[in-house]
Amino acid sequence: MSRRNITVILLALLAGTAGSVCNAAPAPASAPVAIVIHGGAGVIERSRMTPERAASYRAGLGAALDAGYEVLERGGSSLDAVVAAVRQLEDDPQFNAGRGAVLNQDGDAELDAAIMDGAGPRAGAVAGVHHVRNPIELARLVMDKSPHVLLVAGGAEEFALEQGMVLVPRSYFRTEAREHELQEARRAAAARATGKPTTLIALPAGLPSMGTVGAVALDRAGNLAAATSTGGLTNKHRGRVGDTPLIGAGTYASNDSCAVSGTGEGEYYIRQVVAYDVCALVQYRRMSLAQAVHEVVQVKLRRTGGEGGVIALDRSGNIAMDFNSAGMFRGARDSRGRREIAMYRDAGD
Amino acid sequence: MYAIAIHGGAGAVPRATLAAERERNYRAGLEAALDGGYAVLERGGASLDAVATAVRLLEDHPSFNAGHGAALTRDGAAELDAAIMDGSRLRAGAVASVRHVKNPIELARRVMEKSRHVLLVGAGAEEFALEEHFSLVPNQYFRTPERLEQLASEQRGERVSDLVPPAAHGTVGAVARDASGNLAAATSTGGMTNKRPGRVGDSPIIGAGTYAKNGVCAVSATGHGEYFIRAVAAHHVCAAVEYRGFTLEQAVHELLHVILRTLGGDGGLIAIDHAGRIVMDFSTEGMFRGARDASGRREIAIY
Repeated sequence: MSRRNITVILLALLAGTAGSVCNAAPAPASAPVAIVIHGGAGVIERSRMTPERAASYRAGLGAALDAGYEVLERGGSSLDAVVAAVRQLEDDPQFNAGRGAVLNQDGDAELDAAIMDGAGPRAGAVAGVHHVRNPIELARLVMDKSPHVLLVAGGAEEFALEQGMVLVPRSYFRTEAREHELQEARRAAAARATGKPTTLIALPAGLPSMGTVGAVALDRAGNLAAATSTGGLTNKHRGRVGDTPLIGAGTYASNDSCAVSGTGEGEYYIRQVVAYDVCALVQYRRMSLAQAVHEVVQVKLRRTGGEGGVIALDRSGNIAMDFNSAGMFRGARDSRGRREIAMYRDAGD
Repeated sequence: MYAIAIHGGAGAVPRATLAAERERNYRAGLEAALDGGYAVLERGGASLDAVATAVRLLEDHPSFNAGHGAALTRDGAAELDAAIMDGSRLRAGAVASVRHVKNPIELARRVMEKSRHVLLVGAGAEEFALEEHFSLVPNQYFRTPERLEQLASEQRGERVSDLVPPAAHGTVGAVARDASGNLAAATSTGGMTNKRPGRVGDSPIIGAGTYAKNGVCAVSATGHGEYFIRAVAAHHVCAAVEYRGFTLEQAVHELLHVILRTLGGDGGLIAIDHAGRIVMDFSTEGMFRGARDASGRREIAIY
């Protein structure tokens, strides 16, 4: 590479850095704040969704959306907002994260979570934990209190104890609905098993198997953040880790581009580095946020057969929520007065 | 043009501490891995087989921080991570925090080929290994007297040489392009000396320490893993080539000497592009590395 090229790159980067610094300075109170959440792309088929269940999901999403938004409204950080929203969804047994997470082949909840601070870039993540009530809080501690980004399994729980967290028994996470789903998944797998036994089992259609939860937010200071938490796949192989806790795959935030949280068939998201790819298209291809999300979800993921969706947010407060599955539990709220919760393709449902 | 590049870790390589005999030992290990991988390509084999072969040879060599001779955790155990990616089909497999798998790169490949998953960790990964008829080995297999001594001195508060044997930044990896134009990447590591059990670095994370996409590039990284994760380093290099029209050299240079330098992280990486051009660059004092291609290039270097 010629010296001139190096200089050009350096100047471009310095300009970008200087821009970030300026933008991070105290912004006027009129600066937009926004939060977007999802509760998974594996939405129950419309035909099986009763009005009562729909109302209950909407109430759960609304509570998380408002919990996050209140943090932003009182001038709090986007990091605190995404944690507040995701913690609410983890505590709600309807969603596949924290209490009520799906169960693995051993009948245990095995949880993954990640958080990323777009102002850093700083990030924290945990995978394969069995006894942490709110994995998103442990991911945040990894980011704030350790030099590491990703801690897994027993080592992650050891760190949780060192940080003074109280662990909970595995039974805390199990719900009757998830036990029932696991039985169904096992039966379906047994029925499918022909000849060679398979250890890795696809899910019966119609179950909310891709119900990861996540949030992205923009605060008054102009900082972006993203957080994602999940129990993964019903009847999954012990030790299987999806895209959720992998920075760049299921979770990514940078003040230079955007914040993204994904939900879907995690293996596709990992191979295509989905969350980072959305932001790379925004930053380097100069696509709008909506174009970038469309390109990744409707073109690239579709091409490989990867099903799911993403939520994304940029520093101007532009919101994108897109999916190539039947539906995606989602919600958005911003300081321009927008507040919406939706499940299927048409936003009003 | 078919070609392969390998690395055996990047870090501070004080010339003074690397006695001539040890240097010969490292060079011999690198040469064996380079030639082992190259032989696969030469007889028309796939890039995927070439990188797996080279990495397995480095895992088996006690001087490199992967497999036998890996760096030890604060509990004195080896805890291993590895990943492999097939650029022709964007398939990938990875394992993290395994303690009883002789060649983690082979288990990563099995995850890619025989499971629906990409990443398996801890005991679940070893359960899968057993289901796939791998023989597990005791953790003791990985521990060498040098690594135990290194751990002890780090725990006494002495500054451990990042190298000799390369520790803090010691990771091994390979990238290759075969005669059909398929790209592949593989990385394997024991992580940092005295690391916290359960800590996973960039090696097994697709897009961070390992990435391959046909027509664009294949990358294997080594360095301070947390920084490489935050920067989504391997994918960043490929995105710069694909989206911004950078040459591979420009893309690698920007990542290592601008982006990671700004973040405060150091290390190195090897990369290969669609035409088989190789870039090996690092921001540390040295990086154990080697490159060989069909045009007759064959080099091993440390500084």
